[in-house]
Amino acid sequence: MLWVDKYRPKTLDKVTVHDQVAQNLRKLVSEQDCPHLLFYGPSGSGKKTLILALIKQMFGAGAEKVKLENKTWKIDTGTRTLEIELAMLSSAHHVEMNPSDAGFQDRYVVQEVIKEMAKNRPIDAKGKRAFKVLVLNEVDKLSREAQHSLRRTMEKYSSSCRLILCCNSSSKVTEAVRSRCLNVRVNAPSEDQIVQVLEFIGKKENLRLPAGFAARIAAQSNRNLRRAILFFETCKVQQYPFTSNQAAPPLDWEQYVSEIATDILTEQSPKRLFAVRQKFYELLVNCIPPESILKKLLAELLRKLDADLKHEICHWAAHYEHKMRLGSKAIFHLEAFVAKFMSIYKEFLVATFG
Amino acid sequence: MEMDMDMPDPDELEWMESHGLVPEEEEDAYLVDPDEGFVPPPGDSDQPCDSPQPQESAAPRANEASGGLKRPPPPPPSEQDEEEERSKRRNVEQEDEDWLRYSPPPAPEIVVAEKTISRFASEIHGDSVPVTAPNGERVYAKLAMEGLVGRGISGTRQGAHFSNPNSNHKGLLSESFHSLTRRAEQEALAKALQESTDSIDHVACSVTPLVTEKLWVEKYAPNSFTELLSDEHTNREVLLWLKQWDSSVFGSHIRATGDDVLSALRRHSSTIHKNASNRNFFSKSKGGPVASQDDTPLNAQSSNPEGLGGSFSKKSSVDNTPEQKVLLLCGPPGLGKTTLAHVAARHCGYHVVEINASDDRSASSIETKILDVVQMNSIMSDSKPKCLVIDEIDGALGDGKGAVEVILKMINAEKSNNSDRSTNGEETQGRKASRRSHRTAKLLRPVICICNDLYAPALRQLRQVVKVHVFVQPTISRVVNRLKYICKNEGFKTSSIALSALAEYTECDIRSCLNTLQFLNKKRVALNITAFDSQVIGQKDKSKSIRDVWKQVLQKRRLKRSGKSESLFNEDKDINSLFTLISNRGDYEVTMDGIHENFLKLSYHDPMLQKTVKCLDILGFSDSLTQYVYRTQQMPLHAYQPPIAITISRMVAQVEKPNIEWPKALQRSRALLLEKKDMLKTWQNQMSPFVSRHLSVESFVEDIASPFLHILSPLSLRPVALNLLSEREKDELAQLVDTMVSYSVTYRNTKFAPQGKANISVVPHEVSSFSLYPPINDVINFKGYQSEHIGLSLAMKQVLVHEVEKQKIIKDSAGKLLNQSNDGDMKSEASSAIRKKTVANPIPPALHSSKDNSNCSSSTLEMQSNSASNVNGKDSVPAKKHSSRPTNFFDRFRKERPVDAKTHSDVGLHGATLQRDSRPLIFKYNEGFTNAVKRPVRVRDLLLS
Repeated sequence: MLWVDKYRPKTLDKVTVHDQVAQNLRKLVSEQDCPHLLFYGPSGSGKKTLILALIKQMFGAGAEKVKLENKTWKIDTGTRTLEIELAMLSSAHHVEMNPSDAGFQDRYVVQEVIKEMAKNRPIDAKGKRAFKVLVLNEVDKLSREAQHSLRRTMEKYSSSCRLILCCNSSSKVTEAVRSRCLNVRVNAPSEDQIVQVLEFIGKKENLRLPAGFAARIAAQSNRNLRRAILFFETCKVQQYPFTSNQAAPPLDWEQYVSEIATDILTEQSPKRLFAVRQKFYELLVNCIPPESILKKLLAELLRKLDADLKHEICHWAAHYEHKMRLGSKAIFHLEAFVAKFMSIYKEFLVATFG
Repeated sequence: MEMDMDMPDPDELEWMESHGLVPEEEEDAYLVDPDEGFVPPPGDSDQPCDSPQPQESAAPRANEASGGLKRPPPPPPSEQDEEEERSKRRNVEQEDEDWLRYSPPPAPEIVVAEKTISRFASEIHGDSVPVTAPNGERVYAKLAMEGLVGRGISGTRQGAHFSNPNSNHKGLLSESFHSLTRRAEQEALAKALQESTDSIDHVACSVTPLVTEKLWVEKYAPNSFTELLSDEHTNREVLLWLKQWDSSVFGSHIRATGDDVLSALRRHSSTIHKNASNRNFFSKSKGGPVASQDDTPLNAQSSNPEGLGGSFSKKSSVDNTPEQKVLLLCGPPGLGKTTLAHVAARHCGYHVVEINASDDRSASSIETKILDVVQMNSIMSDSKPKCLVIDEIDGALGDGKGAVEVILKMINAEKSNNSDRSTNGEETQGRKASRRSHRTAKLLRPVICICNDLYAPALRQLRQVVKVHVFVQPTISRVVNRLKYICKNEGFKTSSIALSALAEYTECDIRSCLNTLQFLNKKRVALNITAFDSQVIGQKDKSKSIRDVWKQVLQKRRLKRSGKSESLFNEDKDINSLFTLISNRGDYEVTMDGIHENFLKLSYHDPMLQKTVKCLDILGFSDSLTQYVYRTQQMPLHAYQPPIAITISRMVAQVEKPNIEWPKALQRSRALLLEKKDMLKTWQNQMSPFVSRHLSVESFVEDIASPFLHILSPLSLRPVALNLLSEREKDELAQLVDTMVSYSVTYRNTKFAPQGKANISVVPHEVSSFSLYPPINDVINFKGYQSEHIGLSLAMKQVLVHEVEKQKIIKDSAGKLLNQSNDGDMKSEASSAIRKKTVANPIPPALHSSKDNSNCSSSTLEMQSNSASNVNGKDSVPAKKHSSRPTNFFDRFRKERPVDAKTHSDVGLHGATLQRDSRPLIFKYNEGFTNAVKRPVRVRDLLLS
């Protein structure tokens, strides 16, 4: 098992990074009830860990016995019956699923699963906790319709079901859903916090960390705790005892993006743009989200750019990212950004060097 | 009057110029048939220069007059007309003399004086008309306003003779212009009167021909090979192909076409220089005509293997039929494909049987039909063999497929027979034939298929096995000549300008040209260029293939001559045609994809990349628009898509032909993306939920993949026997195995994996290599990127595979033992037996050392786990969910059972628990890994340890 999983805090008490949030959550649950929750924050900040710890806090160890099932729903839409298959993890007390996997039919899944939960309402002898928890991942990828349908069912079945929503950006969750939930923001951990975690792991694994080693990894991780721990383990696997200036190998796709950046900076022409397009395709094919590509590319370009241009380039990057989210063919917009950059950069070069 | 008659409209002139028809050429064309009744006399060519003059002054009247003149029925030319002609000729002669006498007046002077005529369109206010003199000089004349008649007349009159520096108005007009126009009016009136009386009895007499009248298309369909309009090259190819059938079809009773004739034909078709080779051919084949097989005096066998057609003749003497049994003709409609097929087949002595879209084309009915045609000879001895022509084979997909399938089947049967024959050696022809006829059919007669779209999906397979001929448009002059001939025969008055315009307008679709002409003839309306848009000549509302759309967008139409007003006019027309083209196609998303795919390859001038930026911005806008339309279902907004494409076209289109590629990259990337996502999803579902719940595809690819791969291939691991490993190394190995198990990753034996190529280059033999399964390393496998990941050595991988399998089994059985008792054992034992095989398999026999190694290691492992005295066992037990970590394999069960029993409140499980409790110890001998050493172990030892 990777250290990421091995040293994941299982209970709210053991949570170290977001201890304040964890305290609040514990207080919340101690009342034996909880509102709907919406966790949001960047990836690798510990949302899922918090959610699972919270569930454990609510239901005790019983919530840890989960089984994976591929459930098929038959949904009668009036004109035809749809069959939707979706993988979900379920325990006696909660269900975890990723409804956006159902594509545009996510609406039905969301409605069905909540209704089903309401039907098989758990009966508790003491009259407590007569509800199940539904954890929905990646709510920001839910279609608008699904979110709208969620709105009503959330209220209607609130007596038997609590929702815990999890997403990266709350801006893509509709206002209506957000207002029905208690929003929990999970920050990206600060570098100090990451260093703490790494040192903790190092102690547990009986490793000696040279001074500044953890800090360097933390800086490299871009405030992503998951990445930091993985880097740490990679270093350990590659070379132990650690040397003082050891660094984790870079992420491959980021490396590739920086290659693209170099390409762009060396030549600005439609031909080069065409070559860059092929590279973008390579990245996109490998499931790298276009937003990340754009972001990383911008970072790489900014590093090698004259200060005068930085502001303008940032502006255009934002512009094209916005366009990208409006449209569906990311490649058009990525390319448009690159073309724009090339144009600006070339003009700059001509102006400065003649 | 005379002038009025022959005066082409200004539009006509403009058209003529824009299409580069110099008046002289046209004159030549007329001179070919000087006695043609209604074709304007040669003087016509000079007249255009004066064109604007009467147009303004007496425009309505003149038009009336000319209209009246053109209307009367052509065949018997009235006396009046003849008179007119005579006078015209006189006039012309006069004119010619004038040319000789007068030197041209200096044009520039007048340009300064009057602004009605200028060398530059920009100097003229208001509308202008370009005028070209026969000597090539070119000026622009101002168009007078209708309101200012008086001024207009004088102005344009002056303008008119200045515009033509070679002719002088004094010599040209013997009478004053006003008297001329007056006379023209009178004559027109008289004509109209006469016509109105004429038309009554003409209608009566024109009824009779109507009954018998055929469509011109049929009436003038070519009857002989030489009359064919289509491209000579194609014609000859088709004929050659048909000729190759001769020996097999006509067999012995009719002498087959001589091989040298065939070879000559072949050479003809391959060389474009028809005339030269023609002569050549006649001399070679000793005067034998190309096509009549009866006359050919040569014996095929005797003159066999000589000459250029050697390779072919060998083939034909064995097979007696051409290599490709089916001919596929394709091309846009109306070029004469069907006609060619019929004519050529008849020419070669076949009886043509046609199956077209209107016939029943289901597979079963068509099969019998084809068999009838292709295999049978009719009983009557004199009848000709049949040739099958399947028209519109690409037509209806569902039905047309039937025909395609049958043909494919026959061709394939043929092929397999051929291979049979080659293995069997020589057999008698008769026996073979009989045997074959029992099975699927054989193509014994030529089959010609005709389609419009070569790339229709139904034809995909057919395309590969047949001989394909693509029709190209015949040259306009050829079509025009033919049209002129027909018009002459029918007595329909046209000008060759109009005809060539018509031909171009219909894209040399002869059928449509003829139909239009006939229709006009019926209506007694002259063909008029200006009226093309409004007239009955309907533009074909066909949606072009997407490739054509891309081509049109990315290729600039070549401008014949660039004048300002013209180019404006042309641009306008271009935009219009592009708009209709794109909106007819309708498939905007694909259109945009194609443009995106191809536009960067164009060599447009763009130093600062501003055009590129703009294009991509526009494409991005189109993308957003599409998305918006789909989301809000506002389909009318799609109307804004064609202008987007047009904008791009205006910016980047080049004159040279673009090399257009299908936008595969985008579609491919989408497909691959889905595939990869799917792979990762399945993988995620295989992992234990404690790991997988924290993963998403994105986070895996973004954050985890590369470090994970590093972790999976630690550098410190040495591929040595396990018992030689140090304590720490064992720890590491155990950790690695545990990781692999919990992430359900293993190595698989793959031959010729893409990453195995490196190995192959090192070791020349076919070496089986292990690659990760699921193939996570694909995710970081970017084209042109060298990752730093180092794979483990082969031996190490084998060890890992082994270990992982073992761990899995232990885990499985542990899981099962927790729930059920007996059958779990059976299963795991069975599965272990199976696994043993799978594990044993991947060890390549070539690598002895590694084999020994792995054997050895497995044995040691076996001992370790069996004796349960090893630390390794402790670490590898995947009992993470239990807080207390048992010290050994069997201890775990002893301790856990009671805990488990408590948690299970299920009634159904209760029985099982009781049953299990009755036997306090469950011993499972994991046989799967004792492939090296078996050693007796006492149960007591196990329990005590």
